Amino acid sequence: MLQKTVLDRVEPVAEDVVSLVLRGAEGPLAPWEPGAHVDLSLPNWLTRQYSLCGDPADRGSYRVAVRFDRLSRGGSEYVHLFLRAGRTLDVSLPRNNFPLLPAPEYLFIAGGIGITPILPMLAAAGASARLVYVGRSEATMPFAAELKAAYGDRVRLHVDGRPDFAALAAELGPDALVYCCGPASMLDAAEAAFPAHRLHLERFRPVVKEFAPDVPFEAHCVRSGRTVPVAAEESLLDALNHAGFRIPSGCREGVCGSCEIGVVGGEPEHRDDIGAREGRMYCCVSRASSRLDVDL
Amino acid sequence: MTSTETRPRRLSPEEVRARLGEPEAMIKAKVHDRIDRHGHRFIAHAPFVAMATSDATGLPDCSPRGDYPGFVKVLDERTLAIPDRPGNKLADSFRNLAENDGIGLMFVVPGAREVFRVNGRAYPTDEPDVLARMRTEGKPAVLAIIVDVVETFFHCGRALIRSRLWDPASQALADELPSVGEVAAEQMGLDVDPAVVETMLETGYRQLY
Repeated sequence: MLQKTVLDRVEPVAEDVVSLVLRGAEGPLAPWEPGAHVDLSLPNWLTRQYSLCGDPADRGSYRVAVRFDRLSRGGSEYVHLFLRAGRTLDVSLPRNNFPLLPAPEYLFIAGGIGITPILPMLAAAGASARLVYVGRSEATMPFAAELKAAYGDRVRLHVDGRPDFAALAAELGPDALVYCCGPASMLDAAEAAFPAHRLHLERFRPVVKEFAPDVPFEAHCVRSGRTVPVAAEESLLDALNHAGFRIPSGCREGVCGSCEIGVVGGEPEHRDDIGAREGRMYCCVSRASSRLDVDL
Repeated sequence: MTSTETRPRRLSPEEVRARLGEPEAMIKAKVHDRIDRHGHRFIAHAPFVAMATSDATGLPDCSPRGDYPGFVKVLDERTLAIPDRPGNKLADSFRNLAENDGIGLMFVVPGAREVFRVNGRAYPTDEPDVLARMRTEGKPAVLAIIVDVVETFFHCGRALIRSRLWDPASQALADELPSVGEVAAEQMGLDVDPAVVETMLETGYRQLY
């Protein structure tokens, strides 16, 4: 389901980063929890995922922040150069692959634009929460000034390299949780330093993984009674869409969750970085090596 | 159809100029040597471009290119990149560019009456940073054409206004055309049911990338 919004304002929040405030055009917007993201449908037909970084109590508008990517395929370039206030934009319902779980103590680690999901988490987490925020320079780090003003020395900015994660891990209390969002190298370092049971990550890009070779299989669509052949060189998502289903998609890399479908039989090979729930799969990357029954 | 027995008469350039009159100074001034912000915005919203190249003898070829709006990338104000997607693999444009690097582009935005024109010099590339900007459905472009911009201008809307190109009622014209199946079956001298050719084409069209 899409929600109609109007772009209220575009504001620079750091070098090469703008924030967008999207006001609900048809009454209150769907509620969300810290860590959630939405798909934003741009006027150039591209759909991009952005973490919500405003106030969850504000039901009238959403805020996202977008970094300009030098190798933009047309998403961040469009936002930075062509998007104008007053434009109507469709926004998906919020999805949360990075929810904040209850804990007596939190350590948040953000790299650059990875601050966006962390911002509302920090506000929700209470006085025991600390933030380690890493960037190239303060001018390139969105919301750095407002974070320092709001949280004082609970926020530590690092502009000369990543701090020693092992040392941070040693200081943590027994039930503390660690939330980390940023570039892949930072997430890999966090995975090496913090025990898996207390670390929660959100990736912009998929982890490089090895899988069994892709083989052709059939997707039996139980509700429509159709069987869709999936060739070895195509994704289940593409095969379903070429067969006339209209499965939404965003990242196509198994990190955003737009293309989630139901599985009612067979053995899906999950290849996403989200962690599909029982009976669900992300068909942009996940596939199968024998017949799969899907809820379509 | 029979051929014309006497060819239509040929005008000299002077005769053409005498009939058209002189262009106004404002029209002459509209040609620029770079992509300004208005041109960039136009290209960012154009899902279609007609691309003209020609071979060593000057014989031209005009080929359609289309994708999501902004699929042609503005690398800087004097450089464009056009992705090459799977097509008929004839590579006519690439063969032409190897012989003659001149290129003419006409960008079209649905609903807009004016078109944006770019003329320049072009060459093929497989530069990873360029191809990375052209991934669609998870697949990078195979090649891209780099265009060094020589001249750019907005072309006035009279042709599109007269042609009623964006009037939804104009789409009824397509109903009067032969199906591609009919054309292909006849031109290739195939003794096949046009409906079969049609089905093959429609199946092929579902795989766009």
